[in-house]
Amino acid sequence: MTRADFIVTLGAVALLPFLYVASWGNGARGEQARILVGGKEYARVPLYKAQRLEIPGALGVSVLEIKDGKIRFIASPCRGKQCVHSGWLALSGEFAACLPNRISVHVAGREPRYDAVNF
Amino acid sequence: MPALTATREDLRIAWLAALAVTVHIAESALPSPMPGVKPGLANVITLVVLLRYGLAAAAWVALLRVFAGSLLLGTFLSPTFMLSLAGTLASLCALGAGYGLGRLWPAARLSVLGLSVLAALAHMAGQFWLAYAWFIPHPGLFYLLPVLMTAAVIFGVLSGIISGAMLKRLEI
Repeated sequence: MTRADFIVTLGAVALLPFLYVASWGNGARGEQARILVGGKEYARVPLYKAQRLEIPGALGVSVLEIKDGKIRFIASPCRGKQCVHSGWLALSGEFAACLPNRISVHVAGREPRYDAVNF
Repeated sequence: MPALTATREDLRIAWLAALAVTVHIAESALPSPMPGVKPGLANVITLVVLLRYGLAAAAWVALLRVFAGSLLLGTFLSPTFMLSLAGTLASLCALGAGYGLGRLWPAARLSVLGLSVLAALAHMAGQFWLAYAWFIPHPGLFYLLPVLMTAAVIFGVLSGIISGAMLKRLEI
């Protein structure tokens, strides 16, 4: 075994923990989002494709944005803009809703991070 | 039509490629715990050829092994073959780089063990890249990456040890 062998093998072994952390570390990243309008499922969209969605609700059109495995409200015809202030959702079980417009979004993945959420 | 005559080198490559194909097919009978994970014992032949006969001979043997092995197993041009070819090309590039660097700069000289680890990592990376780029472009595939790479490191070290033992006996 030469010194270079030792370095290569050590490097390979040292690389593994980084790979585990990078691929598994952020745990339960959601894979898709369920969009509900008026309590009924309107669409299920994958989070790995960047896109903008316009969802017609009770008051008007809410705009959702999907980017880098995350989803958020960017505009909604409501007054409080609670939904927009919820920001990005990425982890499975995370949830945002625009109650006046009757639109809710939640992220679904293999392992839910939360069983229930209280406000 | 001029007759094709095989040189000594041609015959040697054919023999070694036949040996690699045999190992490849014998190994394909082993059950695999998950797709993409395989001991890769045929690479032992590639490594031994590299160290005894040089990079060109090793590339010939490895590529002939991929083509002839897939024809015999009935996987020619199937995804399995594509993955195998991508992995082999990547590992040949890594072997070329590692071996070439060692010749230019003796302090960075790798023995068969380091070359084997390098080749195994490159093989898996090439295969994974093709699987992600072409067959399953879904981020969920990355959940497999650490497991696949762990297997690559383990089998790389094992193939390296086997190749080392084989080279030692061939030196008599």
